[in-house]
Amino acid sequence: MTQFSLPKSPKQVSWPSLRVIWYRSQNWARNPTVTIGIILSVFAAYLILAPVIMMLMDAFTVDFADQARASKLEGELTSYYLNRAMNSPIAKYIFWLPLMNTLFVSIVVIIATLLVGGLLGWLVSRTDLLGKRWFSTALIVPYMVPSWTFALAWMAIFKNRTMGGLPGWFESLGFTPPDWLSYGFFPIAVILSLHYVPFVVLLVGNALRQFDSQLEESARTLGASSFQVARRIVFPLLRPSIISAATLVFAKCLGDVGVTYIIGAPVKLDLLATSLLRTISTGQDGMSAVLAGTIVILGTVSVLIDMKLLKAAQRFVTIGSKGSLHRTTVLGKWKWPAFGFASSFVLIGAIIPFAALLLTTVMRMPGIFSWDNFTLEFWIGRDLITTALPQGILITKEFWVAAWNTVWMVGLASIGAGVLGLMVGYIVARSPFRLLGGFLKQVTFLPYLVPGVAFAAAYLSMFAKPHGFIPSLYGTSYILVIALLASQMPFASRAGIAAMMQMGKDPEEAAQIVGAGWWRRVISIVLPIHRGALVAGILLPFISGIKGLSLVILLAVPGTDLLTTYAVRLLDFGYSQAANVVAIMICLIAFGGTWIGQKIGKTNLANGIGG
Amino acid sequence: MSRISIKNVDKTYAGADSRAVADLNLDIPKSEFLCLLGPSGCGKSTTLRMIAGLENLTSGQIQIGDQIVDAADQGIFVPPEKRNLGMVFQNYALWPHMTIEENIEFGLKIKKVPVAERKTIIDSVLTKLGIVQYRDRYPSEVSGGQQQRVALARMIAVSPEVILLDEPLSNLDAKLRLDMRTELKRIHSELGSTFVFVTHDQWEAMTLATTIAVMNEGRLQQVGTPEDIYDRPANRFVAEFVGTLPINMLDMKSLDNKTLKAWIQTYLMQLNVEIVDAASVGIRPETMNLHPNNDETPKDTSRCKARIVDLVPTGGNWIIELDVSGTQIFVLSRLVEDLTVGNDITFSIHTCDLHAFDTDGNRIQTTQPKQNLKTKIED
Repeated sequence: MTQFSLPKSPKQVSWPSLRVIWYRSQNWARNPTVTIGIILSVFAAYLILAPVIMMLMDAFTVDFADQARASKLEGELTSYYLNRAMNSPIAKYIFWLPLMNTLFVSIVVIIATLLVGGLLGWLVSRTDLLGKRWFSTALIVPYMVPSWTFALAWMAIFKNRTMGGLPGWFESLGFTPPDWLSYGFFPIAVILSLHYVPFVVLLVGNALRQFDSQLEESARTLGASSFQVARRIVFPLLRPSIISAATLVFAKCLGDVGVTYIIGAPVKLDLLATSLLRTISTGQDGMSAVLAGTIVILGTVSVLIDMKLLKAAQRFVTIGSKGSLHRTTVLGKWKWPAFGFASSFVLIGAIIPFAALLLTTVMRMPGIFSWDNFTLEFWIGRDLITTALPQGILITKEFWVAAWNTVWMVGLASIGAGVLGLMVGYIVARSPFRLLGGFLKQVTFLPYLVPGVAFAAAYLSMFAKPHGFIPSLYGTSYILVIALLASQMPFASRAGIAAMMQMGKDPEEAAQIVGAGWWRRVISIVLPIHRGALVAGILLPFISGIKGLSLVILLAVPGTDLLTTYAVRLLDFGYSQAANVVAIMICLIAFGGTWIGQKIGKTNLANGIGG
Repeated sequence: MSRISIKNVDKTYAGADSRAVADLNLDIPKSEFLCLLGPSGCGKSTTLRMIAGLENLTSGQIQIGDQIVDAADQGIFVPPEKRNLGMVFQNYALWPHMTIEENIEFGLKIKKVPVAERKTIIDSVLTKLGIVQYRDRYPSEVSGGQQQRVALARMIAVSPEVILLDEPLSNLDAKLRLDMRTELKRIHSELGSTFVFVTHDQWEAMTLATTIAVMNEGRLQQVGTPEDIYDRPANRFVAEFVGTLPINMLDMKSLDNKTLKAWIQTYLMQLNVEIVDAASVGIRPETMNLHPNNDETPKDTSRCKARIVDLVPTGGNWIIELDVSGTQIFVLSRLVEDLTVGNDITFSIHTCDLHAFDTDGNRIQTTQPKQNLKTKIED
């Protein structure tokens, strides 16, 4: 036998005496940061971490309805769902095709947005584009309106005879658009691209705006051609913002439900998100967990790649150095083509869709410009022939109920998220335990990786049944408010952390020195200083919450309809004009809200993009 | 009005592998104006924050007046809000959402001073610091110098017994620094509070403090008057850290220069220092006397020959770079005639201006008294 050498004796650990422990715990007790941090962590774990984990577990545990098929008892571990999703006769339709479609759509959208958005971003930030200031606002408009309203507008224009109900503009003008133009892949890619181009304009434009012209000029003085400068200097330095923009667009495409739901269904085109929606609405918990899990994994992987690439890129961040020069490029003979390009984007991305929607709501038959074809009946009419909706939207009770629901539910969730976000920021900045702050920071960021539908699915699996003293929440407004709140935490907590870090400890310590206790400091110093951040932290989530569909489409029931789900419900009934009226109202609210938000919070819209 | 005593204090930040402050013992008599001086990361700010109670000790104890305010092993900790302190932060930490008057009033409100009395106090501090006309403005609406005064006013309004200042002059321009120095000195003599401030700037330390405590790597290096620190540095670190133009530090072991070695040994002998004991010697550039080389070969062993390599104006004095048979030496001096690049000159010092350090870098004490200023001027 070989001789074992004795393990080295462990390093002597001197345990702190009781007195010292008492001394430390006294210090923590005096500082409520720890107590509040622990309470917040419990909440975050319960409302964010637990639903996601429970949902993912559904993918591996037998559901009551599937006991026979999985030949196991309810609650037992199984690979039945994984097999069914990936390796069964229906796998192709429920999993593989949607996955391929999702990846394909995302890639097309990313390429399109980067090309169009990158060019537009460069035009508004670095050239003498005609009407540059106007364009820098107008180009953002397509993002301010909900993406699914584009789908409604598309349908209003291109809907053909394949589908029943009100015909589209082209059809009633005597031209039947082919199916590929009307529904499915092509329109989805176009609409998502139009909607997310503003992201790229903002992100790449901001980076270009800070880009030091001296970096380009020094390369030119060394003899580089303008193509070489673009390829070897500008592009590598812009890479971080390009990667960020691409990741954001990818995450958004993963989670988009509305556009595909409206425009993919007629040709049975599913993305992962709509396939998920379908499995949930047919009560297949296990399958939906597999799909939601796939979306979460894809989202997480993309964010991780983004973070890794960004970390690598931070090593050479020189953008925004002191004394940088910002020279504008003179467009010269390209002046008019450039102007035409930017204008046509605004035309296609904002004016035509909005006009088409608006005209549809005031015309009985689309495209027929005779006086008696115009009507306001879809807005304010009475005694209409439509059975379920005998009056215009503005005098329909359900509309106002949905509007009120939207305002109070999204409002309450946003206020909650804003306040909690600031508190998370405080804990992260002040907690004596780094672990506590780190935990809160990561968990509140988690919903960012979980697209709306998947998050809603998680909430369904957590709150559809009663748990302990918490009754089943499905069908109540509570589940909507809580889910909205939780889904807004990533933005709210990021904003809160940034605000707290920016303030630093000094103002609070100065108050402490003159004798102010903790509560006094919070009320007289911390909160007043962050009034602006708080307003922004409430308003921006509010605006994005009003527009959002993918989270609430699963959780709302007719009694708890929000404006978005109400519009979709109307569409399901075939009342497209009424749905368009609601969509226009949402656009107006979102538009007005953004404007007010920018005035009050003095915040750049770019800050709100993550929400 | 309170004495501060710091006993055996250690501070290790959570997650750090070395001590930010190590075995610190410092007694600050009441009404002292003490400066903690050292390079960044030397533990001076941590020390100040521990006195304030913004950081806990790892071990040891701190006493302010008769009260032990922090003693880890006895389980005592008095929070900052109960220590009756005043503190001026480096960036002033004025509350941006309060007017200047409200900034000053806040502490008085907390201390439950009656309204009428508050007004009197606010008026008097505002007048004293010459910022009465800005009382209704917000901090962002006044200049940096005025913000500094507001921070001072806010602090003295609550008449604290101990006043802590974090780099009080560092954010001000040269003119304002002088004004504020006078202001601080005046406040010190009026209030009689114990002042402690930290800085990495020796000008700030020398001009303000009555006592300087030099710190490095968490450890106290020397405590003394500004003259002590400058003229009798306790070790190599203090000698090299203090002085606007770095001291000429010569390592005797590795010095391969017979001329210079012989010249230094002349002085060491006068100081009664064994030549083998002196591991290194330091000579401040401004203590060297230059002699234009009129007489061909000076026989005097107290003089050393050198060639002028470079002359750098600093406005007033010139930095003169000498080549002493291959060793670079800097001199700070008024420019005298005949001092041109390429010329040969000789230089000498006063015996007491040679600082000798042993192998551990500690000062070798000499019997030679410091010459008083008068003889120096006559020279």
